[in-house]
Amino acid sequence: MTASRLLHQMAASNPLRSGPNRRHVLGGLAASVAASAGLPKMARAQDDALALLTWDAYADPRLLDMWREQTGTPIRYEIHISDPTSVNRLRAGETNVWDFVNLNNPWAREILWPENLIYDLPRDRFEPLYAQMFEKFAMPYDWALSKDGNNLLGVVQRFETFDFVVNSDVISPEMAKDEGWDLFNNPDFANRYGILAYEDWNVMDICMGAGIHPFKPKTEADFAKFEETARRWINNARLITTDFVQLNLAMLNGEIDLYFTGGTYTASSARAEGATNIYAITPNSGPADGKGGINWIELNSAVANPNRKEAAFDFLEWIATPDAAEIIARGNGNLQPVSQMAQDEVLSRFSADELDAIQWDEFDQRIANAVEFDIVPDYDRLYDIYSAAIRDRG
Amino acid sequence: MTQQKLGLLFMAPVAAFLLIGFVSPILIVGWYSLMEPRSFDLNTVFTIANYRSAFSDGYGPPFFWSLSFAAVTTLTCLVLAWPTAKLLHRFAGRGAAVITALIAVPIFISESVRLFGMSLFLMPGGGILAGSMRALFDLSIGSVLNTKLAVYLGLVYVHFPFVLFPALLGVALIPQDRIDAARDLGASRWQVLREVELPLALPGLVIGALLTFVLCIGANAEAAILGGQTVTVLTRAVEQRFSYAQDWPMGAALTMLVIAMTAVFVFPALSRLDLNRLIRR
Repeated sequence: MTASRLLHQMAASNPLRSGPNRRHVLGGLAASVAASAGLPKMARAQDDALALLTWDAYADPRLLDMWREQTGTPIRYEIHISDPTSVNRLRAGETNVWDFVNLNNPWAREILWPENLIYDLPRDRFEPLYAQMFEKFAMPYDWALSKDGNNLLGVVQRFETFDFVVNSDVISPEMAKDEGWDLFNNPDFANRYGILAYEDWNVMDICMGAGIHPFKPKTEADFAKFEETARRWINNARLITTDFVQLNLAMLNGEIDLYFTGGTYTASSARAEGATNIYAITPNSGPADGKGGINWIELNSAVANPNRKEAAFDFLEWIATPDAAEIIARGNGNLQPVSQMAQDEVLSRFSADELDAIQWDEFDQRIANAVEFDIVPDYDRLYDIYSAAIRDRG
Repeated sequence: MTQQKLGLLFMAPVAAFLLIGFVSPILIVGWYSLMEPRSFDLNTVFTIANYRSAFSDGYGPPFFWSLSFAAVTTLTCLVLAWPTAKLLHRFAGRGAAVITALIAVPIFISESVRLFGMSLFLMPGGGILAGSMRALFDLSIGSVLNTKLAVYLGLVYVHFPFVLFPALLGVALIPQDRIDAARDLGASRWQVLREVELPLALPGLVIGALLTFVLCIGANAEAAILGGQTVTVLTRAVEQRFSYAQDWPMGAALTMLVIAMTAVFVFPALSRLDLNRLIRR
């Protein structure tokens, strides 16, 4: 991996970038000054822009430029901190701020649609897109539909399993798949692993490691087991960071041998650079109905904002085109499978090395070994246990 | 119009700006801190549950670490800044500008970029320091990365200029004839330092120390990028409540406590400071 590439990745994944920083504050101040000074052109540009509340792939500059060139409409965006954070922002009234939201599978069906925070999509226009995806997404696909099955709530695109990553020079992938989450319970690996602080995912992973189904209600015994596992895993971690590049570097430097949470999203860019010993693992088995992996599927929806409803629909249709889907699959420098890779026209755009980087040969098996992502019951209590353990560390 | 009324009139725009920009956000945060945990509405049903949690739910370590790091970093920066400021003052015009620029320029580079650079430097194995030692001297060395020591080094590295430049201002306030007079009267070097130089340079040193202390209490990037979150600092604990926990009232209560704690340190120090003297009015 070249130094410039490394630095680029580090900058791109800088955890502080998504939060408020000096540039954002100055930008905000400038916008306020401009607004108060009555600069109508600037204000109109802001109004015309399509607003995305999204994960990073949809903020790829190539995607934004292509959309602007084809439609003349600019895009502004904000990257999520976590799914629940953005859901609560929409609940708090930001539906008039955003036009497009890109969240993991359960939120649209369970929260956004019942609370009138998103529009349903015209089925005649959008269902044909599902016919061009993998069989898994064939209609009626539950996560894309309202609970009564009558309303189409979004367009599925990025998906994968997100569990843990090992250095295959140290831990054989086959052994890692068989051992699953018990690798982190093994005292031999104490102080030899890192934690990627995507904290809602960490909660699910610790459930898996404690032998608890993350997406089912917990008993008091489950909470006790979760707390014991959380404290042990957190205290035994060599490093905790929000930056997966740091974890990949720590693995290449021999500082750690594995980390959770991770998957294609965190491993693919390093693998594409030749570090193929960074290997995403989905356990062969686990406590979630016998499965140990977690499969997330992003659903792209139109926020219930009447100002730009049609533009949001156009964007949702456009992201499924081969050119846009390809950029999204390479979004922000990370290779990531998209549902449109079921089409030869899209799949053929990826080289053998790129497919190896996303471990495409075993992708179906990984999906089969994973339970689909869902809302975690008792999340608040579990998160409080987790964050208390983090505070006690050191 | 009397002079007093004219003064109030001229003050009004700035007062309005401060009220809207600084006071009202604090009032809103204070209001949120009295709401039910994990609620998102501002109402008039107040509770002190969040403040109770702040003292009972294990927030002691973040307060301890942030205060400790702030105190030790401030002290270290003061100890390093004093001789540096003296040297820069003495050699002003003779190369000191270059050294000053070398220290000042990094301030204009994003803090996280500098810390990532430091992380690459300290990284074991293929890191710049460890890799160079192995390549040049065949020496295998360990690394302090992801330890409390790395957090401390990062804090000193980032905040040193914030002490140095006010200290330089303080040193410039010391008239050379006072030092000469003290020496003529038989004062030792220690006595000159303690009884002449430090009291005269105190305003600059206090400003530098305050700046560094307050910035360090709010620092998070050093612990996140260099420390591998080996400890949780206050800002991180607050951030967790606002983000993944979606518990704005608890985050607001912690924020109010941080503000109160900072005020306890800052206001007594500021009240002893004679800014007029510092700017030589």
